[in-house]
Amino acid sequence: MTNAGCQCWPVNGTIEAPRAILYNTFVENADWADVAASVRGDDEAYGRLVQRYEKPITGLLWRFTRDPTQCEELVQQVFVEAFFSLKTYRGDAPLLHWLRKIATRTGYRFWREKSREPQETSLPEFDVLEEIEAAEEDRIDPTEAAIVLQSLLSRLPPDDRLVLTLMYFEECGTQEIAERMGWTRAKVKTQALRARRKMKEIAEREHLLERLGWTL
Amino acid sequence: MDALEGLARLARRAREEATPVFGVSEAVRLRIQSERTETVTLIPLGLFGGLSALAASVIMILALQFWSYMTSPVMELVAPLPEIRLW
Repeated sequence: MTNAGCQCWPVNGTIEAPRAILYNTFVENADWADVAASVRGDDEAYGRLVQRYEKPITGLLWRFTRDPTQCEELVQQVFVEAFFSLKTYRGDAPLLHWLRKIATRTGYRFWREKSREPQETSLPEFDVLEEIEAAEEDRIDPTEAAIVLQSLLSRLPPDDRLVLTLMYFEECGTQEIAERMGWTRAKVKTQALRARRKMKEIAEREHLLERLGWTL
Repeated sequence: MDALEGLARLARRAREEATPVFGVSEAVRLRIQSERTETVTLIPLGLFGGLSALAASVIMILALQFWSYMTSPVMELVAPLPEIRLW
């Protein structure tokens, strides 16, 4: 990130010159060049951006659904939506932050739509716990840990589930969640408190600690 | 150990999970192209709709003006009555 590069970047078209300075302060040079080119209609430049950020965005959306087909569909939705909103990207934060915001909202919409369909997380999903023999945290397979945690979280309503998913998997603070969702920080704090209480009840009802061998 | 501590511990481990990568750039490019085409198709339709709305407003304005000139046919029967000499 250098200010010297700003002069040689294209600042005509739909992205104005004053905004270029802002972009240059926060956004990686390669990103800036590709964003500017994408706004002018260069599909290849946008393809480079997709390739650059596909992995973290998929990683985030994997927390919203573990179904590979659904997850891939969501990832595509995020990048298509991002492309058509690229003109509104102000560059006051790195591109990945902006993409994560779109991805979080896409995932949340997906949950809300799914929550209208009657469904209950089936207990057989917890069979995976039977395979966990060791009490040591590091001996639990990360995939199994993720399956268990996501199954437990799926029993919460979308708002509670979102807050805890971002806290547990993305290590987001209340401020970051509020920014991503356009909620107030107070709402996130209240939501988190309520969600934790519910989650504790669910974990106790399922005898999670006993099944993990973490009762000591 | 508290249940919440257990969940935090589980989350720490879950974060290490390797997530899949799908390679969506080509699919995204195709979807963007198809959505652009849809937008282009919608432009003439929007233009036609706009023109129709404009024409309808002009007719409405004229219709309201004509309406104000119209009088009830019954008024013709009632209005001359006071001027009739009865004897």
